[in-house]
Amino acid sequence: MLVLRESYFIYVRNLKTWLAQPWMIVAAVLSSAFMFLFFGEPLRGITALPGFPADDYQAFLAAMVIVMAVVFSGSDMAMVLLTDMMSGYVDKLLLSPVNRFSILLGTLLIGGTRAMAQVLAIILVATAIGVRFEGGVLGILAVIVGATLLGVAMGCVGLIVAMRTRSVQVTVNSWLLFMPLAFLTSAFMPRDLLTGWFQVAVGLNPIEYIMVAVRAVIIEGWVWDSILPGIWVLLATTVVLVGAATYEYRRATN
Amino acid sequence: MTNGPAVLVDGLGKTYPGGVRAVDGISFAVERGEFFGFLGPNGAGKTTTIKILATLLPKSEGRVEVAGLDVIREPKAVRQAIGVALQEVGLDDLSKGRDFLELQGLLYGLSRAEARMRAGELLELVGLSSVADRKVGSYSGGMRRRIDLAGALMHNPGVLFLDEPTTGLDPQSRIAVWEHLEELNAQGVTIFLTTQHMDEADRLCRRLAIIDHGRLVAEGSPAALKAGVGGDIVHVAFDADDSAEDRVAAALAAVRALPGVRQADLAAGGLTATVSDGGAAAPAIMSAFQDAGLSIANLSITRPSLDDVFLQHTGRQIRDSDADGDAEDRMWSQWMGVNRR
Repeated sequence: MLVLRESYFIYVRNLKTWLAQPWMIVAAVLSSAFMFLFFGEPLRGITALPGFPADDYQAFLAAMVIVMAVVFSGSDMAMVLLTDMMSGYVDKLLLSPVNRFSILLGTLLIGGTRAMAQVLAIILVATAIGVRFEGGVLGILAVIVGATLLGVAMGCVGLIVAMRTRSVQVTVNSWLLFMPLAFLTSAFMPRDLLTGWFQVAVGLNPIEYIMVAVRAVIIEGWVWDSILPGIWVLLATTVVLVGAATYEYRRATN
Repeated sequence: MTNGPAVLVDGLGKTYPGGVRAVDGISFAVERGEFFGFLGPNGAGKTTTIKILATLLPKSEGRVEVAGLDVIREPKAVRQAIGVALQEVGLDDLSKGRDFLELQGLLYGLSRAEARMRAGELLELVGLSSVADRKVGSYSGGMRRRIDLAGALMHNPGVLFLDEPTTGLDPQSRIAVWEHLEELNAQGVTIFLTTQHMDEADRLCRRLAIIDHGRLVAEGSPAALKAGVGGDIVHVAFDADDSAEDRVAAALAAVRALPGVRQADLAAGGLTATVSDGGAAAPAIMSAFQDAGLSIANLSITRPSLDDVFLQHTGRQIRDSDADGDAEDRMWSQWMGVNRR
Protein backbone atom coordinates (compact mmCIF):
# COMPACT_ATOMS: atom_id res chain seq x y z
CA MET A 1 0.00 0.00 0.00
CA LEU A 2 2.84 2.33 0.89
CA VAL A 3 4.41 1.62 -2.50
CA LEU A 4 1.15 2.64 -4.20
CA ARG A 5 0.96 5.87 -2.18
CA GLU A 6 4.57 6.76 -2.97
CA SER A 7 4.24 5.79 -6.64
CA TYR A 8 1.16 7.96 -6.90
CA PHE A 9 3.03 11.04 -5.59
CA ILE A 10 5.90 10.45 -8.00
CA TYR A 11 3.46 9.79 -10.83
CA VAL A 12 1.62 13.06 -10.19
CA ARG A 13 4.93 14.91 -10.21
CA ASN A 14 5.86 13.31 -13.55
CA LEU A 15 2.42 14.12 -14.93
CA LYS A 16 2.77 17.77 -13.94
CA THR A 17 6.22 17.90 -15.52
CA TRP A 18 4.79 16.55 -18.76
CA LEU A 19 1.80 18.90 -18.75
CA ALA A 20 4.14 21.82 -18.06
CA GLN A 21 5.64 21.22 -21.50
CA PRO A 22 2.65 21.65 -23.83
CA TRP A 23 4.79 21.67 -26.95
CA MET A 24 5.75 18.06 -26.28
CA ILE A 25 2.07 17.21 -26.49
CA VAL A 26 1.29 19.39 -29.51
CA ALA A 27 4.27 17.97 -31.39
CA ALA A 28 3.23 14.39 -30.61
CA VAL A 29 -0.29 14.97 -31.94
CA LEU A 30 0.94 16.87 -35.00
CA SER A 31 3.43 14.17 -35.94
CA SER A 32 0.62 11.62 -35.95
CA ALA A 33 -1.61 13.85 -38.06
CA PHE A 34 1.30 14.29 -40.48
CA MET A 35 1.54 10.51 -40.84
CA PHE A 36 -2.01 10.38 -42.21
CA LEU A 37 -1.29 13.37 -44.44
CA PHE A 38 2.12 12.45 -45.82
CA PHE A 39 1.77 8.64 -46.04
CA GLY A 40 -1.97 8.17 -46.22
CA GLU A 41 -2.64 10.61 -49.04
CA PRO A 42 0.05 9.62 -51.56
CA LEU A 43 -0.31 5.88 -50.93
CA ARG A 44 -4.09 5.66 -51.03
CA GLY A 45 -3.98 3.93 -54.47
CA ILE A 46 -2.44 0.85 -52.80
CA THR A 47 -5.92 -0.35 -51.86
CA ALA A 48 -6.42 -1.25 -55.54
CA LEU A 49 -3.78 -4.02 -55.26
CA PRO A 50 -5.29 -7.47 -55.50
CA GLY A 51 -5.57 -8.99 -52.03
CA PHE A 52 -5.41 -5.66 -50.17
CA PRO A 53 -7.61 -6.07 -47.12
CA ALA A 54 -9.10 -2.55 -46.79
CA ASP A 55 -10.96 -0.09 -49.01
CA ASP A 56 -9.82 2.96 -47.08
CA TYR A 57 -6.03 3.26 -46.88
CA GLN A 58 -6.20 5.71 -43.97
CA ALA A 59 -8.03 3.03 -41.96
CA PHE A 60 -5.27 0.54 -42.84
CA LEU A 61 -2.60 3.09 -41.90
CA ALA A 62 -4.24 4.01 -38.58
CA ALA A 63 -2.81 0.91 -36.87
CA MET A 64 0.68 1.91 -37.97
CA VAL A 65 0.23 5.49 -36.78
CA ILE A 66 -0.96 4.30 -33.38
CA VAL A 67 1.67 1.62 -32.83
CA MET A 68 4.48 3.76 -34.17
CA ALA A 69 3.60 6.67 -31.87
CA VAL A 70 3.64 4.36 -28.85
CA VAL A 71 6.88 2.62 -29.87
CA PHE A 72 8.66 5.96 -30.27
CA SER A 73 7.32 7.19 -26.92
CA GLY A 74 9.98 4.86 -25.45
CA SER A 75 12.61 7.20 -26.81
CA ASP A 76 10.85 10.17 -25.17
CA MET A 77 10.82 8.33 -21.87
CA ALA A 78 14.57 7.74 -22.13
CA MET A 79 15.06 11.49 -22.43
CA VAL A 80 12.63 12.20 -19.58
CA LEU A 81 14.60 9.95 -17.24
CA LEU A 82 17.98 11.18 -18.43
CA THR A 83 16.92 14.79 -17.80
CA ASP A 84 16.00 13.89 -14.23
CA MET A 85 19.24 11.99 -13.78
CA MET A 86 21.33 14.89 -15.06
CA SER A 87 19.58 17.52 -12.99
CA GLY A 88 20.20 15.38 -9.90
CA TYR A 89 16.48 14.93 -9.29
CA VAL A 90 16.78 11.14 -9.37
CA ASP A 91 19.42 11.41 -6.62
CA LYS A 92 17.01 13.59 -4.68
CA LEU A 93 14.39 10.83 -4.88
CA LEU A 94 16.95 8.18 -3.95
CA LEU A 95 17.94 10.22 -0.89
CA SER A 96 14.38 10.02 0.39
CA PRO A 97 13.14 6.97 2.27
CA VAL A 98 10.71 5.94 -0.50
CA ASN A 99 10.86 2.42 -1.83
CA ARG A 100 13.06 2.13 -4.94
CA PHE A 101 10.27 0.34 -6.76
CA SER A 102 7.90 3.28 -6.17
CA ILE A 103 10.21 5.56 -8.13
CA LEU A 104 10.35 3.08 -11.01
CA LEU A 105 6.60 2.51 -10.96
CA GLY A 106 5.82 6.24 -10.89
CA THR A 107 8.04 6.65 -13.93
CA LEU A 108 6.71 3.68 -15.92
CA LEU A 109 3.12 4.71 -15.29
CA ILE A 110 3.77 8.11 -16.83
CA GLY A 111 5.11 6.30 -19.92
CA GLY A 112 1.78 4.46 -20.11
CA THR A 113 -0.19 7.67 -19.57
CA ARG A 114 1.66 9.52 -22.29
CA ALA A 115 1.06 6.65 -24.73
CA MET A 116 -2.60 6.53 -23.74
CA ALA A 117 -3.14 10.25 -24.27
CA GLN A 118 -1.36 10.23 -27.58
CA VAL A 119 -3.35 7.28 -28.90
CA LEU A 120 -6.55 8.95 -27.80
CA ALA A 121 -5.53 12.00 -29.83
CA ILE A 122 -4.70 9.85 -32.86
CA ILE A 123 -8.06 8.14 -32.68
CA LEU A 124 -9.75 11.55 -32.67
CA VAL A 125 -7.71 12.65 -35.69
CA ALA A 126 -8.45 9.36 -37.49
CA THR A 127 -12.16 9.69 -36.79
CA ALA A 128 -12.08 13.27 -38.02
CA ILE A 129 -10.66 12.19 -41.39
CA GLY A 130 -13.28 9.50 -41.74
CA VAL A 131 -11.67 6.31 -40.39
CA ARG A 132 -14.33 3.95 -39.02
CA PHE A 133 -13.51 1.57 -36.16
CA GLU A 134 -15.19 -1.74 -37.00
CA GLY A 135 -14.51 -2.96 -33.46
CA GLY A 136 -16.77 -0.19 -32.14
CA VAL A 137 -16.40 1.65 -28.86
CA LEU A 138 -15.17 -1.51 -27.15
CA GLY A 139 -12.55 -1.85 -29.86
CA ILE A 140 -11.39 1.70 -29.28
CA LEU A 141 -11.15 1.05 -25.55
CA ALA A 142 -9.21 -2.15 -26.18
CA VAL A 143 -6.75 -0.30 -28.43
CA ILE A 144 -6.26 2.38 -25.79
CA VAL A 145 -5.63 -0.18 -23.04
CA GLY A 146 -3.21 -2.06 -25.28
CA ALA A 147 -1.41 1.15 -26.20
CA THR A 148 -1.01 2.00 -22.52
CA LEU A 149 0.59 -1.36 -21.81
CA LEU A 150 2.85 -1.04 -24.83
CA GLY A 151 3.75 2.46 -23.64
CA VAL A 152 4.88 1.00 -20.31
CA ALA A 153 6.89 -1.69 -22.12
CA MET A 154 8.58 0.75 -24.50
CA GLY A 155 9.20 3.11 -21.58
CA CYS A 156 11.18 0.25 -20.00
CA VAL A 157 13.42 0.10 -23.07
CA GLY A 158 13.91 3.86 -22.82
CA LEU A 159 14.76 3.64 -19.11
CA ILE A 160 17.30 0.91 -19.76
CA VAL A 161 18.96 3.00 -22.48
CA ALA A 162 19.15 6.07 -20.22
CA MET A 163 20.40 4.17 -17.17
CA ARG A 164 22.95 2.09 -19.08
CA THR A 165 24.48 4.85 -21.17
CA ARG A 166 23.91 7.98 -19.04
CA SER A 167 24.71 9.77 -22.28
CA VAL A 168 22.81 12.59 -23.95
CA GLN A 169 24.00 11.76 -27.44
CA VAL A 170 22.95 8.14 -27.20
CA THR A 171 19.65 8.87 -25.52
CA VAL A 172 18.65 11.67 -27.89
CA ASN A 173 19.22 9.27 -30.77
CA SER A 174 17.56 6.27 -29.15
CA TRP A 175 14.68 6.59 -31.64
CA LEU A 176 17.05 4.72 -33.97
CA LEU A 177 16.59 1.69 -31.77
CA PHE A 178 12.82 1.98 -32.03
CA MET A 179 12.75 2.60 -35.76
CA PRO A 180 13.19 -1.04 -36.88
CA LEU A 181 10.62 -2.10 -34.29
CA ALA A 182 8.10 0.31 -35.78
CA PHE A 183 8.91 -0.09 -39.48
CA LEU A 184 9.94 -3.74 -39.84
CA THR A 185 6.21 -4.39 -39.81
CA SER A 186 3.24 -4.46 -42.12
CA ALA A 187 3.05 -0.71 -41.51
CA PHE A 188 2.20 0.20 -45.10
CA MET A 189 1.21 -3.09 -46.63
CA PRO A 190 -0.13 -6.44 -45.31
CA ARG A 191 2.50 -9.08 -44.64
CA ASP A 192 1.44 -11.44 -47.45
CA LEU A 193 2.01 -8.66 -49.98
CA LEU A 194 5.58 -8.15 -48.71
CA THR A 195 8.44 -10.17 -50.19
CA GLY A 196 11.87 -11.66 -49.50
CA TRP A 197 13.97 -11.01 -46.39
CA PHE A 198 11.73 -8.13 -45.38
CA GLN A 199 8.74 -10.43 -45.06
CA VAL A 200 10.82 -12.81 -42.94
CA ALA A 201 12.10 -10.01 -40.71
CA VAL A 202 8.58 -8.70 -40.19
CA GLY A 203 7.53 -12.15 -39.00
CA LEU A 204 10.25 -12.03 -36.34
CA ASN A 205 9.31 -8.59 -34.99
CA PRO A 206 7.02 -8.86 -31.94
CA ILE A 207 5.59 -5.41 -32.64
CA GLU A 208 4.19 -6.77 -35.93
CA TYR A 209 1.75 -9.02 -34.07
CA ILE A 210 0.54 -6.11 -31.98
CA MET A 211 0.08 -3.99 -35.10
CA VAL A 212 -1.88 -6.77 -36.83
CA ALA A 213 -4.19 -7.03 -33.84
CA VAL A 214 -4.79 -3.27 -33.71
CA ARG A 215 -5.44 -3.21 -37.45
CA ALA A 216 -7.89 -6.09 -37.18
CA VAL A 217 -9.88 -4.21 -34.56
CA ILE A 218 -9.96 -1.13 -36.82
CA ILE A 219 -10.68 -2.55 -40.26
CA GLU A 220 -12.34 -5.90 -39.55
CA GLY A 221 -13.73 -5.91 -36.03
CA TRP A 222 -13.29 -8.72 -33.50
CA VAL A 223 -11.39 -11.23 -35.61
CA TRP A 224 -9.82 -13.25 -32.79
CA ASP A 225 -7.40 -15.15 -35.02
CA SER A 226 -5.65 -11.85 -35.74
CA ILE A 227 -6.15 -10.29 -32.32
CA LEU A 228 -5.16 -13.05 -29.86
CA PRO A 229 -1.52 -13.45 -30.97
CA GLY A 230 -1.15 -9.68 -30.56
CA ILE A 231 -2.51 -9.82 -27.01
CA TRP A 232 -0.15 -12.65 -26.00
CA VAL A 233 2.85 -10.93 -27.54
CA LEU A 234 1.94 -7.65 -25.86
CA LEU A 235 1.58 -9.28 -22.43
CA ALA A 236 4.79 -11.26 -22.81
CA THR A 237 6.73 -8.21 -24.03
CA THR A 238 5.44 -6.11 -21.15
CA VAL A 239 6.31 -8.72 -18.52
CA VAL A 240 9.80 -9.29 -19.92
CA LEU A 241 10.62 -5.60 -20.32
CA VAL A 242 9.25 -4.55 -16.93
CA GLY A 243 11.35 -7.34 -15.43
CA ALA A 244 14.43 -6.17 -17.30
CA ALA A 245 13.87 -2.54 -16.32
CA THR A 246 13.39 -3.51 -12.66
CA TYR A 247 16.62 -5.51 -12.72
CA GLU A 248 18.47 -2.66 -14.39
CA TYR A 249 17.02 -0.15 -11.96
CA ARG A 250 18.09 -2.18 -8.93
CA ARG A 251 21.55 -2.52 -10.40
CA ALA A 252 21.82 1.22 -11.03
CA THR A 253 20.53 2.34 -7.64
CA ASN A 254 22.28 -0.06 -5.29
CA MET B 1 16.76 8.82 16.71
CA THR B 2 18.70 6.09 18.44
CA ASN B 3 21.73 6.45 20.69
CA GLY B 4 25.26 7.17 19.57
CA PRO B 5 26.88 10.11 17.86
CA ALA B 6 25.20 11.82 14.89
CA VAL B 7 27.91 10.55 12.58
CA LEU B 8 30.43 7.82 13.21
CA VAL B 9 32.98 7.00 10.54
CA ASP B 10 35.60 4.34 11.15
CA GLY B 11 38.21 3.42 8.55
CA LEU B 12 36.03 4.53 5.64
CA GLY B 13 37.48 3.91 2.19
CA LYS B 14 36.06 4.31 -1.28
CA THR B 15 37.59 3.12 -4.53
CA TYR B 16 35.58 3.85 -7.65
CA PRO B 17 35.29 1.30 -10.42
CA GLY B 18 38.34 2.06 -12.54
CA GLY B 19 40.58 2.30 -9.51
CA VAL B 20 40.30 5.93 -8.39
CA ARG B 21 40.82 6.01 -4.63
CA ALA B 22 38.58 8.90 -3.55
CA VAL B 23 38.53 8.27 0.20
CA ASP B 24 41.47 6.54 1.82
CA GLY B 25 40.71 5.24 5.29
CA ILE B 26 39.24 8.14 7.28
CA SER B 27 37.79 8.08 10.80
CA PHE B 28 35.92 10.76 12.70
CA ALA B 29 32.80 11.33 14.78
CA VAL B 30 30.28 14.16 14.93
CA GLU B 31 28.40 14.59 18.18
CA ARG B 32 24.71 15.45 18.27
CA GLY B 33 24.03 19.15 18.01
CA GLU B 34 27.46 19.87 16.60
CA PHE B 35 28.19 22.14 13.64
CA PHE B 36 30.88 20.14 11.89
CA GLY B 37 32.85 21.22 8.85
CA PHE B 38 34.55 19.04 6.29
CA LEU B 39 37.10 21.23 4.61
CA GLY B 40 39.16 20.50 1.54
CA PRO B 41 39.90 21.42 -2.06
CA ASN B 42 37.94 20.12 -5.05
CA GLY B 43 38.52 16.44 -5.58
CA ALA B 44 39.70 15.85 -2.01
CA GLY B 45 36.91 13.34 -1.32
CA LYS B 46 34.34 15.58 0.38
CA THR B 47 31.42 14.86 -1.92
CA THR B 48 32.18 11.14 -2.03
CA THR B 49 32.16 11.04 1.77
CA ILE B 50 28.90 12.95 2.07
CA LYS B 51 27.25 10.71 -0.54
CA ILE B 52 28.30 7.61 1.41
CA LEU B 53 26.99 9.11 4.66
CA ALA B 54 23.70 9.94 2.93
CA THR B 55 23.32 6.35 1.57
CA LEU B 56 23.61 7.45 -2.05
CA LEU B 57 26.88 5.68 -2.71
CA PRO B 58 28.17 2.34 -1.40
CA LYS B 59 31.43 2.38 0.55
CA SER B 60 34.34 0.11 -0.26
CA GLU B 61 35.32 -0.55 3.34
CA GLY B 62 34.96 0.69 6.89
CA ARG B 63 32.05 1.33 9.23
CA VAL B 64 29.60 4.21 8.85
CA GLU B 65 26.80 5.01 11.25
CA VAL B 66 24.49 7.99 10.92
CA ALA B 67 22.01 8.94 13.65
CA GLY B 68 23.10 5.74 15.40
CA LEU B 69 22.10 3.58 12.40
CA ASP B 70 24.30 1.55 10.08
CA VAL B 71 24.05 3.04 6.57
CA ILE B 72 24.26 -0.36 4.86
CA ARG B 73 21.97 -2.35 7.14
CA GLU B 74 19.31 0.32 7.69
CA PRO B 75 19.49 2.75 4.78
CA LYS B 76 15.78 3.59 4.92
CA ALA B 77 15.88 4.58 8.58
CA VAL B 78 19.00 6.66 7.93
CA ARG B 79 17.29 8.46 5.03
CA GLN B 80 14.30 9.24 7.21
CA ALA B 81 16.55 10.64 9.95
CA ILE B 82 18.62 12.98 7.80
CA GLY B 83 18.15 15.92 5.46
CA VAL B 84 20.51 16.29 2.51
CA ALA B 85 21.31 19.10 0.10
CA LEU B 86 23.92 18.10 -2.44
CA GLN B 87 26.06 20.16 -4.74
CA GLU B 88 24.33 18.97 -7.90
CA VAL B 89 21.25 20.58 -6.53
CA GLY B 90 18.66 18.18 -7.99
CA LEU B 91 15.80 20.60 -8.15
CA ASP B 92 12.77 20.07 -10.28
CA ASP B 93 12.85 23.10 -12.58
CA LEU B 94 9.36 22.62 -14.00
CA SER B 95 7.65 22.42 -10.64
CA LYS B 96 6.57 25.35 -8.50
CA GLY B 97 8.60 26.03 -5.37
CA ARG B 98 5.68 25.17 -3.12
CA ASP B 99 4.86 21.93 -5.00
CA PHE B 100 8.50 20.88 -4.83
CA LEU B 101 8.51 21.25 -1.04
CA GLU B 102 5.14 19.55 -0.55
CA LEU B 103 6.25 16.56 -2.61
CA GLN B 104 9.45 16.32 -0.56
CA GLY B 105 7.29 16.24 2.57
CA LEU B 106 4.98 13.55 1.17
CA LEU B 107 7.92 11.38 0.17
CA TYR B 108 9.19 11.53 3.75
CA GLY B 109 5.83 10.36 5.04
CA LEU B 110 4.12 13.61 5.99
CA SER B 111 0.36 13.84 5.47
CA ARG B 112 -0.93 16.30 2.88
CA ALA B 113 -2.03 18.77 5.54
CA GLU B 114 1.31 18.51 7.35
CA ALA B 115 3.23 18.91 4.12
CA ARG B 116 1.25 22.00 3.15
CA MET B 117 1.75 23.59 6.55
CA ARG B 118 5.43 22.78 6.79
CA ALA B 119 6.07 24.04 3.24
CA GLY B 120 4.43 27.34 4.18
CA GLU B 121 6.59 27.67 7.31
CA LEU B 122 9.81 26.89 5.50
CA LEU B 123 9.07 29.19 2.56
CA GLU B 124 8.68 31.90 5.17
CA LEU B 125 11.89 30.89 6.94
CA VAL B 126 14.04 30.97 3.79
CA GLY B 127 12.33 34.10 2.49
CA LEU B 128 10.75 32.59 -0.62
CA SER B 129 7.04 33.01 0.18
CA SER B 130 6.61 35.66 -2.49
CA VAL B 131 7.91 33.35 -5.24
CA ALA B 132 6.41 30.11 -3.90
CA ASP B 133 4.10 29.75 -6.91
CA ARG B 134 6.75 30.43 -9.51
CA LYS B 135 8.58 27.61 -11.22
CA VAL B 136 11.88 26.66 -9.59
CA GLY B 137 13.58 26.99 -12.99
CA SER B 138 13.05 30.76 -12.81
CA TYR B 139 14.87 31.09 -9.45
CA SER B 140 18.28 32.73 -9.06
CA GLY B 141 21.26 30.76 -7.74
CA GLY B 142 20.72 31.93 -4.18
CA MET B 143 17.00 31.17 -4.28
CA ARG B 144 17.74 27.67 -5.61
CA ARG B 145 20.08 26.94 -2.70
CA ARG B 146 17.48 28.18 -0.25
CA ILE B 147 14.59 26.16 -1.71
CA ASP B 148 16.87 23.12 -1.71
CA LEU B 149 17.74 23.74 1.93
CA ALA B 150 14.02 24.10 2.73
CA GLY B 151 13.38 20.78 0.95
CA ALA B 152 15.99 19.07 3.10
CA LEU B 153 14.24 20.41 6.22
CA MET B 154 10.67 19.38 5.35
CA HIS B 155 10.63 16.32 7.63
CA ASN B 156 12.45 17.97 10.56
CA PRO B 157 15.61 15.90 10.28
CA GLY B 158 17.93 15.70 13.28
CA VAL B 159 21.03 15.65 11.10
CA LEU B 160 21.58 17.86 8.08
CA PHE B 161 24.18 17.13 5.38
CA LEU B 162 25.12 20.03 3.15
CA ASP B 163 27.59 19.77 0.31
CA GLU B 164 29.11 23.18 -0.37
CA PRO B 165 25.88 25.04 0.34
CA THR B 166 27.21 28.45 -0.68
CA THR B 167 29.44 27.67 -3.65
CA GLY B 168 28.53 30.00 -6.49
CA LEU B 169 26.48 32.40 -4.39
CA ASP B 170 26.91 36.16 -4.18
CA PRO B 171 28.14 37.50 -0.81
CA GLN B 172 24.68 38.61 0.29
CA SER B 173 23.08 35.22 -0.40
CA ARG B 174 25.95 33.45 1.32
CA ILE B 175 25.34 35.41 4.49
CA ALA B 176 21.61 34.67 4.29
CA VAL B 177 22.31 30.93 4.02
CA TRP B 178 24.83 31.14 6.89
CA GLU B 179 22.26 32.80 9.12
CA HIS B 180 19.66 30.08 8.40
CA LEU B 181 22.20 27.41 9.23
CA GLU B 182 23.24 29.06 12.48
CA GLU B 183 19.61 29.34 13.48
CA LEU B 184 18.96 25.67 12.73
CA ASN B 185 22.01 24.61 14.69
CA ALA B 186 20.86 26.74 17.60
CA GLN B 187 17.59 24.75 17.50
CA GLY B 188 19.56 21.55 17.99
CA VAL B 189 20.00 20.28 14.43
CA THR B 190 23.36 18.59 13.86
CA ILE B 191 24.96 20.05 10.76
CA PHE B 192 27.61 18.35 8.66
CA LEU B 193 28.85 20.72 6.02
CA THR B 194 31.50 20.44 3.35
CA THR B 195 33.21 23.53 2.07
CA GLN B 196 36.28 24.74 0.24
CA HIS B 197 35.86 28.22 1.71
CA MET B 198 37.99 28.93 4.76
CA ASP B 199 35.93 31.91 5.86
CA GLU B 200 32.78 29.79 5.81
CA ALA B 201 34.36 27.04 7.90
CA ASP B 202 35.82 29.62 10.28
CA ARG B 203 32.54 31.40 10.83
CA LEU B 204 30.15 28.45 11.08
CA CYS B 205 31.87 25.34 12.32
CA ARG B 206 32.67 24.55 15.89
CA ARG B 207 34.81 21.66 14.78
CA LEU B 208 36.55 20.91 11.51
CA ALA B 209 38.21 18.07 9.71
CA ILE B 210 40.54 18.92 6.87
CA ILE B 211 40.62 16.38 4.04
CA ASP B 212 43.16 16.23 1.26
CA HIS B 213 43.64 13.45 -1.31
CA GLY B 214 41.14 11.29 0.52
CA ARG B 215 42.87 11.47 3.90
CA LEU B 216 42.19 13.52 7.02
CA VAL B 217 45.14 15.77 7.67
CA ALA B 218 43.88 17.70 10.69
CA GLU B 219 40.91 17.87 13.03
CA GLY B 220 39.83 20.26 15.77
CA SER B 221 38.11 23.56 16.46
CA PRO B 222 39.06 26.46 14.16
CA ALA B 223 40.71 28.22 17.09
CA ALA B 224 42.74 25.16 18.10
CA LEU B 225 43.79 24.49 14.51
CA LYS B 226 44.93 28.07 14.06
CA ALA B 227 46.78 28.01 17.38
CA GLY B 228 48.43 24.80 16.18
CA VAL B 229 50.08 26.72 13.34
CA GLY B 230 52.04 28.34 16.17
CA GLY B 231 53.11 31.92 15.69
CA ASP B 232 52.66 34.53 12.99
CA ILE B 233 52.44 34.33 9.25
CA VAL B 234 54.77 36.43 7.14
CA HIS B 235 53.77 36.72 3.52
CA VAL B 236 56.20 38.19 1.01
CA ALA B 237 55.14 39.18 -2.47
CA PHE B 238 58.13 39.64 -4.78
CA ASP B 239 58.80 40.47 -8.41
CA ALA B 240 60.33 37.56 -10.28
CA ASP B 241 60.02 36.20 -13.80
CA ASP B 242 60.79 32.66 -14.99
CA SER B 243 64.51 33.35 -15.23
CA ALA B 244 64.62 34.07 -11.50
CA GLU B 245 63.88 30.47 -10.53
CA ASP B 246 67.34 29.90 -9.03
CA ARG B 247 67.27 33.14 -7.08
CA VAL B 248 63.80 32.30 -5.71
CA ALA B 249 65.05 28.89 -4.62
CA ALA B 250 68.03 30.54 -2.94
CA ALA B 251 65.79 33.00 -1.09
CA LEU B 252 63.48 30.16 0.02
CA ALA B 253 66.42 28.16 1.34
CA ALA B 254 67.80 31.20 3.15
CA VAL B 255 64.44 31.95 4.78
CA ARG B 256 64.04 28.34 5.89
CA ALA B 257 67.46 28.52 7.53
CA LEU B 258 66.59 31.62 9.59
CA PRO B 259 66.12 31.19 13.36
CA GLY B 260 62.45 31.32 14.40
CA VAL B 261 61.14 30.19 11.00
CA ARG B 262 59.13 26.99 11.40
CA GLN B 263 57.97 26.54 7.86
CA ALA B 264 58.28 28.38 4.55
CA ASP B 265 56.59 27.58 1.25
CA LEU B 266 56.08 29.20 -2.12
CA ALA B 267 52.45 29.78 -2.95
CA ALA B 268 50.17 32.22 -4.71
CA GLY B 269 52.83 34.48 -6.21
CA GLY B 270 54.84 34.81 -3.06
CA LEU B 271 56.40 33.18 -0.08
CA THR B 272 54.56 32.33 3.11
CA ALA B 273 56.48 31.62 6.29
CA THR B 274 55.31 30.56 9.71
CA VAL B 275 57.48 32.25 12.34
CA SER B 276 57.46 32.43 16.13
CA ASP B 277 57.61 36.25 16.11
CA GLY B 278 56.63 38.16 12.98
CA GLY B 279 58.21 41.47 13.98
CA ALA B 280 61.56 39.88 14.72
CA ALA B 281 61.67 37.71 11.59
CA ALA B 282 60.58 40.30 9.01
CA PRO B 283 63.90 42.20 8.68
CA ALA B 284 65.87 38.96 8.31
CA ILE B 285 63.46 37.71 5.65
CA MET B 286 63.79 41.01 3.78
CA SER B 287 67.55 40.77 3.74
CA ALA B 288 67.37 37.14 2.57
CA PHE B 289 65.47 38.39 -0.50
CA GLN B 290 67.89 41.26 -1.05
CA ASP B 291 70.85 38.86 -0.85
CA ALA B 292 69.18 36.69 -3.49
CA GLY B 293 68.75 39.73 -5.72
CA LEU B 294 64.95 39.83 -5.58
CA SER B 295 62.95 42.98 -4.91
CA ILE B 296 60.05 42.76 -2.48
CA ALA B 297 56.73 44.21 -3.64
CA ASN B 298 54.90 43.75 -0.38
CA LEU B 299 55.40 42.17 3.02
CA SER B 300 52.66 41.45 5.54
CA ILE B 301 52.51 39.91 9.00
CA THR B 302 49.24 38.29 10.09
CA ARG B 303 47.85 36.02 12.73
CA PRO B 304 47.24 32.54 11.27
CA SER B 305 44.02 31.87 9.35
CA LEU B 306 42.52 28.54 8.30
CA ASP B 307 44.32 29.08 4.98
CA ASP B 308 47.55 28.83 6.91
CA VAL B 309 46.33 25.73 8.70
CA PHE B 310 45.68 24.12 5.33
CA LEU B 311 49.05 25.23 4.04
CA GLN B 312 50.77 23.91 7.12
CA HIS B 313 49.24 20.46 6.75
CA THR B 314 49.40 20.04 2.98
CA GLY B 315 52.19 22.38 1.85
CA ARG B 316 49.72 23.97 -0.60
CA GLN B 317 47.11 26.66 -0.51
CA ILE B 318 43.57 25.43 -0.92
CA ARG B 319 42.87 27.48 -4.03
CA ASP B 320 46.02 26.15 -5.74
CA SER B 321 45.17 22.58 -5.06
CA ASP B 322 42.19 21.60 -7.19
CA ALA B 323 42.83 17.94 -7.66
CA ASP B 324 40.45 17.56 -10.58
CA GLY B 325 41.53 20.20 -13.05
CA ASP B 326 41.15 23.90 -13.49
CA ALA B 327 38.17 26.11 -12.92
CA GLU B 328 37.08 25.92 -16.52
CA ASP B 329 36.89 22.13 -16.39
CA ARG B 330 34.77 22.34 -13.31
CA MET B 331 32.43 24.80 -14.94
CA TRP B 332 32.05 22.47 -17.90
CA SER B 333 31.43 19.42 -15.84
CA GLN B 334 28.69 21.26 -14.00
CA TRP B 335 27.25 22.60 -17.21
CA MET B 336 27.17 19.16 -18.75
CA GLY B 337 25.51 17.77 -15.66
CA VAL B 338 28.32 15.35 -14.99
CA ASN B 339 28.53 14.23 -11.38
CA ARG B 340 31.50 15.66 -9.54
CA ARG B 341 32.71 13.40 -6.83
